[in-house]
Amino acid sequence: MKKLNKISSLVIVTLLLITTGCSMKTLPTAEVNYLSGKDGTITMRAIGIGTNQEDAIIDAERNAFNVIFFRGLPESEQKIALIGTNETEEKEKNKDYFNKFYKDKRYKTFVMSSIPTSDLTKHKGGKKSIAIDVKINLVALRKDLEQNNIIRKFGF
Amino acid sequence: MKNKYFILAILLLQSSLINTVFCQNSATNSGGQVVSVQPKIMVIPYTKEGEDLRTVLENDENKRIAIAKIKEGFDSRGFTTVDFVAKLKAAKDNNVFTSDNQTDIKSQIIQMSGADVYVQAEVIVEKGQSGNSVKLILTAYEASTGNSLSNKVGESGKFYTEDFNKLASKAVESCVEDFLNIMQIKFTDIVNNGKSVIIDISFDAGSQYKMSSEIGSDGLPLSDQIEMWMEKNAFKNNYHIQGTTDLKMIFDDVKIPLKDQATGNNYNPNKFALELFKFFKGLGLQPGKDVKGSTIYITIK
Repeated sequence: MKKLNKISSLVIVTLLLITTGCSMKTLPTAEVNYLSGKDGTITMRAIGIGTNQEDAIIDAERNAFNVIFFRGLPESEQKIALIGTNETEEKEKNKDYFNKFYKDKRYKTFVMSSIPTSDLTKHKGGKKSIAIDVKINLVALRKDLEQNNIIRKFGF
Repeated sequence: MKNKYFILAILLLQSSLINTVFCQNSATNSGGQVVSVQPKIMVIPYTKEGEDLRTVLENDENKRIAIAKIKEGFDSRGFTTVDFVAKLKAAKDNNVFTSDNQTDIKSQIIQMSGADVYVQAEVIVEKGQSGNSVKLILTAYEASTGNSLSNKVGESGKFYTEDFNKLASKAVESCVEDFLNIMQIKFTDIVNNGKSVIIDISFDAGSQYKMSSEIGSDGLPLSDQIEMWMEKNAFKNNYHIQGTTDLKMIFDDVKIPLKDQATGNNYNPNKFALELFKFFKGLGLQPGKDVKGSTIYITIK
């Protein structure tokens, strides 16, 4: 009986290790790459992850905005972060703005187009990913950030 | 008793006079609202030695297009620049130019315009068998200190076209946003850490004092008294001494805040010069002060 208990617990531990290992790998990173930019617009290819296509697209769009806000996009006209590199501090400082921006989907008003460029890909762990080309109205976005005192206007 | 009433009447009259002189006019009273004084920015063309700044724009439409496009970039950020051509015309009308030396003319225009920052645009046209292109070198300087604020090189790319106007436009578009972003970083740094002023302290020809003169209640040399004051009064203790001789002391970079830290009102080099003036008076000296842009000249009599 004791031996059977030992074997069953060993099997459970092994199973747990296998499932944990599986759920932690293979999900793609949230990549955002510059495609083109002209006259105050910027087009990026972003990858989003979600449980369905809609969630994955929303995640990709959010990733694109996050990169513009807190990282900057090399090769584009916005090489440096539009707001700052410390996103935790910036989001905490302007909680109301970011709540409205993301949770109430206000960011959609700055999206000029959002076109999926890949099929929804299934990954282990039930997650799905999609790549989209998202075009953002950068001039309007900067003006909005200025008006809401998230960033300073040009000058002193 | 009569005397008492007389003194009271004098005091009342005096206070009403002070009110009339120093109180804010109701027509201009903003209710304590303070708007930051913005830097004056002027975009000018690059000129080689001996080139006439007055005709260089008129002869080269590519330069005019590049300058207009750069100004457009500033406008899109809601910022108005000082118009170089208008200033040039005003300078001509007012016979500002006193020398034939072109470099002098450039300095004179910058000085006359009162620009705090000037942006220099160099347009290079390149013709080749594999296509034509325009390169643009953009540099922004702080007029008073010469500190560089932003530098960018823009390129139109090579095209089989003779339309150099379009190529100049493309060259500006390729770098102007980045250029402005870098400038804004420097402006933010100025807002946080203060703007630079130059302080030049010297002695009048007939002055009995020198930098080594022991002065004040503690009898320390004047140069040390000045440095101790600067240590306390430069914004965030940020100052740099270019050099000290017995007859001169130059601070080539002293930071002053953009806003009065006590009242929140705008602060400028003139106000800092007044504090410096009061300090010298406190030491029992007779100073003279002159403020030219961001340079403060103190002459001790």
